Amino acid sequence: MATEKELSDFLKSVEKRAFKRSVYHVRDEEAALDIVQDSMMKLAEHYADKPANELPMLFQRILSNTTLDWFRRQKTKNALFSNFNDFESESGSDEMDFLDIKVPEHDTMMGESAEQNFSHTQNVLEIEEEIKKLPARQREAFLLRYWEELDVSETASAMGCSEGSVKTHCSRAIQALHLALSAKGLKP
Amino acid sequence: MTHGLEQSFSSQDIFARRIVNELDASLEDVPHHVSERLRAARVRALTLRKQKAPVPVYSASIHIQNGVATLGAGPGTGQLWEKMVSFLPLLVLLLGLMFIYEHQNDFRARELADVDQALLLDDLPPDAYTDPGFLKFLSVPRESIEGPQ
Repeated sequence: MATEKELSDFLKSVEKRAFKRSVYHVRDEEAALDIVQDSMMKLAEHYADKPANELPMLFQRILSNTTLDWFRRQKTKNALFSNFNDFESESGSDEMDFLDIKVPEHDTMMGESAEQNFSHTQNVLEIEEEIKKLPARQREAFLLRYWEELDVSETASAMGCSEGSVKTHCSRAIQALHLALSAKGLKP
Repeated sequence: MTHGLEQSFSSQDIFARRIVNELDASLEDVPHHVSERLRAARVRALTLRKQKAPVPVYSASIHIQNGVATLGAGPGTGQLWEKMVSFLPLLVLLLGLMFIYEHQNDFRARELADVDQALLLDDLPPDAYTDPGFLKFLSVPRESIEGPQ
């Protein structure tokens, strides 16, 4: 059973990412805060007796379900489950060099000027905007897999789909981001 | 071909991690009011956890609160014991009803036996009660038979 400190530390470690993820999904800051708060309370109320190592998976599931509930309430379910074929791979797309995009490493941010800082902020905003544009399932798979650092099976479990689907969603999400950021000439 | 595919996946992973590094960095720029709201939500969730925290019961005991007595179970007995205990009042009620029924039956039998005994031990034979003349005799006031004295 997770202690109060373990639960508190866990919530502290995920709350901002959870908020951002919710914003990407619902595009409404207040709604995102409500969703994160509801998720935290559900976790604490119903699963506080679970071991600390089970909390991340449980929280991701709760957050996803709470977000879905929000969409249901908003009667925009159709907008959430958009067509997965939005990003049909074009000929030769498998050979894209994803390392062409020069997303800055954080180590290089030290000592940057105000102008560079502004540029960095703009880049983040562009990235966030493109993430918001991804189809919901691709966005969810991408964020769970890479931002929450779940492995493929955990992501599949959290999303309620097969591991193959997770790989497909992630791959398409990355291709879409690559294309979009390339088109914007993102060179921080 | 396979090697190319693996290389593609690998470069995809690297690209994805660069993206999420950017996102991680952006977490520092979350507005103050959002941070405060998240902190408040966390505190509220932890408060809820305290309210829901189970109170350990280490031995079977009877708790009396607000005039209601409940049985507490020891560790490990779980919900099965609690369910069994919840049927206890019903069982007591059924046993009570059975006892009352048997007691009433016995009481009635004893009453009838007393009447039978009185009839059989009396000087008057029981067949007399089936005689219409005798019943008429009983209904007539005694003064009218014996006459004035």
